[in-house]
Amino acid sequence: MAKIERAQKLFLKSLKEKFQGQDVQSEKTQFYNFNGVRQSPRKREFMEATKAIEAKRGISMYDPERCHLGGIPMGQRQLMTYEVSGTGTFVEGDDLHFVNNSAMQQFWDDIRRTVIVGMDMAHATLQKRLGKEVTPETINEYLHTLNHAMPGAAVVQEHMVETHPGLVDDCYVKVFTGDDELADDIEPQFLLDIEKLFPADQAEELKAEVGNSMYQAIHIPTIVSRTCDGGTTSRWSAMQIGMSFIAAYRMCAGEAAVADLSFAAKHAGVVQMGTILPARRARGPNEPGGIKFGLFSDIIQANRKYPNDPAKAALEVVGAGTMLFDQIWLGSYMSGGVGFTQYATAAYTDNILDEFTYYGMDYLKDKYGFDYTQPGQNMLKPTQDVVNDLATEVSLNAMEQYEQFPTMMEDHFGGSQRAGVMAAACGLTCSISTGNSNAGLNGWYLSMLLHKDAWSRLGFFGYDLQDQCGSANSLSMEPDRGLMGELRGPNYPNYAMNVGHQGEYAAIVGGAHYGRGDAYCYAPLVKITFADPSLKFNFAEPRKEFAKGAIREFEPAGERSLIISAKN
Amino acid sequence: MAYKPQYGPGTSIVAQNRRNQMNPGHELEKLRSVTDEDVVLILGHRAPGAAYPTAHPPLAEQQEPEDPMRKIVKPTDGAKAGDRVRYVQFADSMFNAPSQPYQRTYAEMYRFRAIDSGTLSGRQIVECRERDLDQYAKFLIETEMFDPATVGIRGATVHGHSLRLAEDGMMFDALQRCVLGDDGVVKYVKDQVGVPLDRPVDVGKPMNEKWLKEHTTMFHSLVGTAFREDEEYIEYIQRIHTLRTKYGFMPKEE
Repeated sequence: MAKIERAQKLFLKSLKEKFQGQDVQSEKTQFYNFNGVRQSPRKREFMEATKAIEAKRGISMYDPERCHLGGIPMGQRQLMTYEVSGTGTFVEGDDLHFVNNSAMQQFWDDIRRTVIVGMDMAHATLQKRLGKEVTPETINEYLHTLNHAMPGAAVVQEHMVETHPGLVDDCYVKVFTGDDELADDIEPQFLLDIEKLFPADQAEELKAEVGNSMYQAIHIPTIVSRTCDGGTTSRWSAMQIGMSFIAAYRMCAGEAAVADLSFAAKHAGVVQMGTILPARRARGPNEPGGIKFGLFSDIIQANRKYPNDPAKAALEVVGAGTMLFDQIWLGSYMSGGVGFTQYATAAYTDNILDEFTYYGMDYLKDKYGFDYTQPGQNMLKPTQDVVNDLATEVSLNAMEQYEQFPTMMEDHFGGSQRAGVMAAACGLTCSISTGNSNAGLNGWYLSMLLHKDAWSRLGFFGYDLQDQCGSANSLSMEPDRGLMGELRGPNYPNYAMNVGHQGEYAAIVGGAHYGRGDAYCYAPLVKITFADPSLKFNFAEPRKEFAKGAIREFEPAGERSLIISAKN
Repeated sequence: MAYKPQYGPGTSIVAQNRRNQMNPGHELEKLRSVTDEDVVLILGHRAPGAAYPTAHPPLAEQQEPEDPMRKIVKPTDGAKAGDRVRYVQFADSMFNAPSQPYQRTYAEMYRFRAIDSGTLSGRQIVECRERDLDQYAKFLIETEMFDPATVGIRGATVHGHSLRLAEDGMMFDALQRCVLGDDGVVKYVKDQVGVPLDRPVDVGKPMNEKWLKEHTTMFHSLVGTAFREDEEYIEYIQRIHTLRTKYGFMPKEE
């Protein structure tokens, strides 16, 4: 290890904006004179909104000057704004809670309402069992029917209720295949064109994985998955698929052969985004706890848009992953309230993790000749010595930056925030350069041990428990003790309880493949499905989308004004 | 041959300070005096002069079963009397406070008996029987493990360890439990959970920057000793990590 110099620190602009008029390297400042919560425009807005609510409902609500610390409101220190990393957009911290951010909600909605269903078995059953002809024309007709039915319309029965299209306009189905000839015959409105959506080398790799098969990328209405749950997605989709096949191929609704088709078309080729969870976590499929890290890295599309910057691609996974796994999964499904947002946002605001990660990239170039802008070239062998060297240098640099810029330490005021960010930079540096997700995880855990001994502190009780025993499981493949990174997930035994880890782990896994220049990490079908430009959320730019949500410029699905009274 | 603890690696002054605090054979310097009543006031668990509330009858009055462990492990005074378990919690500034969360836990484990510690990034709590706690807390406040400006006794709302210091050198405390008086002495005006005290409790003058730098147990490249400079310490951590990676929690050299 040998320290290198970086001329332009990515976090400086944020710090100067956050701490205006102050020396960002100062060691002392003023407190107790910021007018409490009223220093924040968003808190003032909350207080103003509360007056109207209380007058209307007659029940007290938001009252920070009475209820916080028995009359001492928060804001005895400066309440900071945050720059969403990589966007240049400054937002209020409150706007990054998912309740206040429609983009964050839609991000999760778009995942939860998605299911992929293979068509090959259905087509084989139609042809061999039912004697139906299947051609590109019949497939197009079926897709017309399905895009009528999937949002909630009838195709076979008389006198049925149906859903208002204005409420379910985010629901549709497209298909994709690795067979160029077949793809050419599919109506463009229904086709996810791999050739057009991906860089040439990625497209070839993905088409080879898909082969001549055809898959449906299905997105049920946001409003349905919100009212029900992730387990609904495949059920809702299955019902409409079955009805659409019956209608499009003029089948009998009652004969036994339709049961064969039903299984083949509705269930046999289903790919869920998340696996079902055990009873103690009590969630069905397509809920956050069941999303494997490899699959999650394929949902995020930044490596498709930025194939020559695996660091940026991985940092986008960090932002998306911490939002989903920390803020929504652990922060609300498994716990509750508002605290988890602070852990998550540290990893995707103020360009701090970005700076630490690009320091790692520069160090790789300087010491090992690895150029991260040329994925797959001069990859490092994932030895313990290499991991130790990379993780040590990146950790030392990160700690020194916090020390040299006390305002940055003040920004990341909690130990868990700092620990997650520093270890993530180490993990990404190790995984991007070696192409090995477990080497990345191993780098994470060395960072934790170094951090703990340098500063004699780390995170909170449970956080430390996980990270102090991590070295021993990071390279293990034994059941209940280890697994390759791609197959680990939020419910992996040692990862299930702690905020500040899961999004970063997903990025470390993704980084291994982005560093290699792979088209996908774990699930090529998922990679293709989320490349869809018709989705409400742009999965190639999750941090920009979250920033749009924060400044109230994002347009989500789930509109209900059509069916509720006008307030004004 | 009897086991001789090494307490920890490192060639730096920070490493040596850590060993000194952990080693019960090393006498920590007493820098200030607080009365027993002062400690009771800051802790806030009972009124000064009040009897210790109990969770169970004194052990001597209980019919205890035959148990070899009971003969080996002698109860502390608090346990003998049946005291409640109560706590003291400290927040330590990252600007060279003399002790730091894990360091506190390690030192307390070596120096105190019958304790249950909890270690976080911004605070460290130690729980034990109340009359034992009074002694331990007094030790932790009077010795070189404490500095009135950069260490806070905080049961809740501990926020401050990572913030810049106030212009008067005090660590941020949203509740302002302690204040620096015009006489240069720090006074606790609220107990550790923020309940106002009937009278202020003096805990002495803040130590100066030179003393803090010489006595801190935290590495810091700006105001103290950089971790990078203690190569032995870093190699030790790398070795532990490598051995755990290869052999789990039964590390051995190849």
